Amino acid sequence: SFPCRAQPKKKKVDVRREQAQKDRMKEKLRKLKKIAPEVIPIEDFVTPLKYSDSNRSVNLLLALSPEETERRVLLLKQDETEKKAIQTLVESQQEALKELCLESEELYQAAILRDEGLFPFKRDGPSYTPPLPGYDHPRGKCVDITKVYT
Amino acid sequence: AAASRRPWRLFGAMCLLRLPRITQPLEKEEEEMAALMGQIELEKSHYSDHEIRKLEEEERLKRRKENLDDDDEGPSKTVTMARDLEEKWEQKFLQFQAAPRITDADKNNNRTSLNRKLDSNLMLLVKHKIGNQEQWLLPQVEWQPGETLRSTAERAMTTFLGDHIQAKILGNAPFGIYKYKFPRAIRTEDNVGAKVFFFKAFLQSSDLSQTEPKADYLWVTKNELGDYLKSEYLKKVNRFLLD
Repeated sequence: SFPCRAQPKKKKVDVRREQAQKDRMKEKLRKLKKIAPEVIPIEDFVTPLKYSDSNRSVNLLLALSPEETERRVLLLKQDETEKKAIQTLVESQQEALKELCLESEELYQAAILRDEGLFPFKRDGPSYTPPLPGYDHPRGKCVDITKVYT
Repeated sequence: AAASRRPWRLFGAMCLLRLPRITQPLEKEEEEMAALMGQIELEKSHYSDHEIRKLEEEERLKRRKENLDDDDEGPSKTVTMARDLEEKWEQKFLQFQAAPRITDADKNNNRTSLNRKLDSNLMLLVKHKIGNQEQWLLPQVEWQPGETLRSTAERAMTTFLGDHIQAKILGNAPFGIYKYKFPRAIRTEDNVGAKVFFFKAFLQSSDLSQTEPKADYLWVTKNELGDYLKSEYLKKVNRFLLD
């Protein structure tokens, strides 16, 4: 149709109006910046009111001393056996390395190299029951209710 | 250094461990301790949202029962009570059947199966032909010049279980050594005896149905090792086995 120019012809009135608009925006921004910003509360540090007095009855029976000492004795015993087992393991390894050294220098050097692929070492712990083959676990839906402050 | 013939033949052996899948049963003291800690935790805790809701509903129900004549609160809304939800969850839980901790292989004492003794470490034992005798040993092969001892142990593993085995070997250094002299009949100056270096690895692949083992094998726990291994060999192996 008609050949168009890139910028339509501006009239002087428009230019002045636009300039006034820009100035008004700048004033508003300056006023907002002057007001100190509102503090955003950290919701984790604020205990909701419903938990303030809903404690269960505090019925702690502190007659635990015989059980306490039993527990400590048991824990110490386990500690000992574990320490001894680890010590024998280390001794066994030292002995093996010594024999290897007697055999061949190069094999010994190869054996004491650090294994780069060993760490980070990941291992899944045991569960109470073994995994059930073919079990389809129920999937849940998670609704995110975090409040976002602008 | 002259490449003199060493009198000892070198072998690399792999102690392949299948780690426990389920927890071991608690001792009596452990159970008492766990119960005590649970009790203390319960007493120190606050009510959860669900429990608060349940308590409020019970209150409301009680009040409604007492004021049956006055209470005319519009249409009886079918609100799901927390109590009903709990019943529904209980039903669902009762319908669920967990896998058994003691498997069929345990009951049959099928020691070739990996699916037994799920709460202990299982080790691989392979029947080797030494001289003209068959012996149960940890899988081992002779070291060949040019490879490290760790590679020898890996080769031992793949020789008996195939290439698809996935295991995490715990480092480049051997964990133990078993040294023995050949019987006088075959002992020579260049061939005094053998040194078997043990390496330790954790089995990663849980499914070995694809493997075709090349020899008789067993998966045994530490306590069952005594049924198969000779005493001197067993002593050396037990040193680097924890639990």
